[in-house]
Amino acid sequence: MEKTSEQTETKKQPAKKEEVVIAIKGLKKAFDGKHVLNDINLELKRGENLVILGRSGTGKSVTIECIVGLIKQDKGSLKVFGDEVIDMNDKKLKELRMKIGFLFQSGALYDSMTVRENLEFPLTRILKMKDQQEIDKRVEDALDSVGLLDSVEKMPSDLSGGMRKRAGLARTLVINPEIMLYDEPTTGLDPITSKEISELILSIQKKNKTSSIIITHDMECARITADRILVMEDGEYIAEGSFDELHKSKNKTVCAYFNDIL
Amino acid sequence: MAEEVVIPAWKRWLEGIGDQVGFFINFFRNIFVGGFEWSEFVRQCYEIGYRSVMLVGITSFIMGVVLILQLRPTLVSFGSVSMLPKTLSVSFVREIGPVIIGIICAGKIASSIGAELGSMKVTEQLSAMEVSGANPTQYLVVTRILATTLMVPLLSVLGDAIGLFGGFLALNLRDHMSFSLYFSKIIGALDFTDFLPALVKTIFFGFAIGFVGCYKGFHSNKGTESVGVAANSAVVTASLWIFVIDAIAVQITSLLFYK
Repeated sequence: MEKTSEQTETKKQPAKKEEVVIAIKGLKKAFDGKHVLNDINLELKRGENLVILGRSGTGKSVTIECIVGLIKQDKGSLKVFGDEVIDMNDKKLKELRMKIGFLFQSGALYDSMTVRENLEFPLTRILKMKDQQEIDKRVEDALDSVGLLDSVEKMPSDLSGGMRKRAGLARTLVINPEIMLYDEPTTGLDPITSKEISELILSIQKKNKTSSIIITHDMECARITADRILVMEDGEYIAEGSFDELHKSKNKTVCAYFNDIL
Repeated sequence: MAEEVVIPAWKRWLEGIGDQVGFFINFFRNIFVGGFEWSEFVRQCYEIGYRSVMLVGITSFIMGVVLILQLRPTLVSFGSVSMLPKTLSVSFVREIGPVIIGIICAGKIASSIGAELGSMKVTEQLSAMEVSGANPTQYLVVTRILATTLMVPLLSVLGDAIGLFGGFLALNLRDHMSFSLYFSKIIGALDFTDFLPALVKTIFFGFAIGFVGCYKGFHSNKGTESVGVAANSAVVTASLWIFVIDAIAVQITSLLFYK
C-alpha cells in the first residue's frame, strides 16, 4: 500500500486524543466463494473523519457492515471500542449499535412512518424513553441540526432525495452516536445538495466530536470531510493519506480519482 | 483476485431449508423474548383484517350465490330442493369457505407483506432497523404473523356468514323460503365437528400466509425486481401451503370425527 501520510503534514489535524475506536486487522470476507475483502487493516481514531474511496464492488460497504455486525467476517480481527465484534452476544451487539450511527445510501427512512415517528423509533424502541417532552425535544434538536424542522410531520415519500438523507442523518444523530458510518452520503444528489451534506457531515463531527468513516465516490465530499483517505481496490487498500497527499500520488488508480480535480 | 467458487444447487437448497427453519425458530423465540409490539400488532390487525373485509365479503357472497345456483338443478332432479340450505351450509363451512377465503387472503395479504418487507429490504430499511439496535423480527415479523394468524380465522367466520346469506338471497330468486326457516335449517345442519375443525384449519392458514409473506420479503434479493418476485413467490407458496394444510386437516378430521 502506498503510504503518504507521513510525508507531509495533513491538511486538517485529527483530534489530539489518539484513542483508536475501530481497529481492523487482516479482515477477510467472501460471498459464495468470491473474495470481497482481502486482508483489510484499518484504524479509526477518536474524532477522526476517515474517507474510503473505491470503485463499486470493491468491498467498501461490506467493511462498514462488518463494523456494525450486519455481516460477519470470515477471518481477521475487528474491534470497536476494544471489543471484538464477532464475539459479541445479542445484548452486547445492541449496546454497541446504540453508539454507532449508520447513514445508508438511500437514507433508509421507514416508509410507513412520518419523519417524527422515524426519529422517535430509536428513542422509544431502543433507548426505551417514556417522557414525551424529552422525546420531542431530542427529535426537534436532531431535525434542527440538519435543517429539517419544518418537515417533522411529513412522510418520507413527500421528501426530496437530499431531505431524505438529512432526515436519515437526523435519525442517527438523535441517539447521540460516538461513531458515524456514512455509506455514500452524496450519491444521487445534485452538486449543491452534495456539498451541503458534506458540510453537514463536517459540522456534525465538530459539534458532536464523532469519529466517522465516510464511503464515497464524490471527490468534493472527500475533500471537504476527510482527515485521512484510504483508497480501496479489489478488497485491499492500495493507498492512504490526506487529500492533498493523494492528489500528488503517482499511483494510476489513485490518480484516476483525482484527474478531474484541479 | 481469488477465483469464484461455484456452490452446488443441492447445497443451496439445503441452505434454503435451514434458513426457513432458522426463521421459524427465530419467530417463536421473539414472541417471548423482549417486549411485544402491541401498537404495531394492532395496526397490522387493522391493515390485514379490516382492510380485507370488503374483498372477503364480496367473494364469499358471490360464492354463496353461485353455489346455490349450481346446486339447485341437481337437487331439483332428485326432488330435494329443501336440502339446499343444508348442503350449502355444510360444504361452505367445512371446506369451500375456509379454502376460498384462505386463497383470497394469500393473494391479498401474503403478497402485500412480501412486497412491503421486500421493498424495506431493497431500500435498506431492514438493515437500518437492525443497526439502530431494534429487532426487525420482533417489530415486523412477529406482529405480522400473529396478526394474520388471528385475522384469517375471523375473516373466515365472517366470510361463512356472508356466503350463507348470499345463498339465502340466491335461493329466493327461484324458490321462496323465509329467513328464519333458512337460518334454522343451516344451524340444524351444522355440527360442532363441522365448525371447529374448519376454524382450527384457518388458524394454520393464517400462520402460513403470514410466515410465507414475511420469509419471502425478508429473503428477497437486493434490487427493485426482487420486490415483485418476493410478492409473487409469497402468493404462490402461501396458496400451495393452504392446499397442503387443507389436505392434512381433512385427513385428520376424517379420522377423528367422520368414521
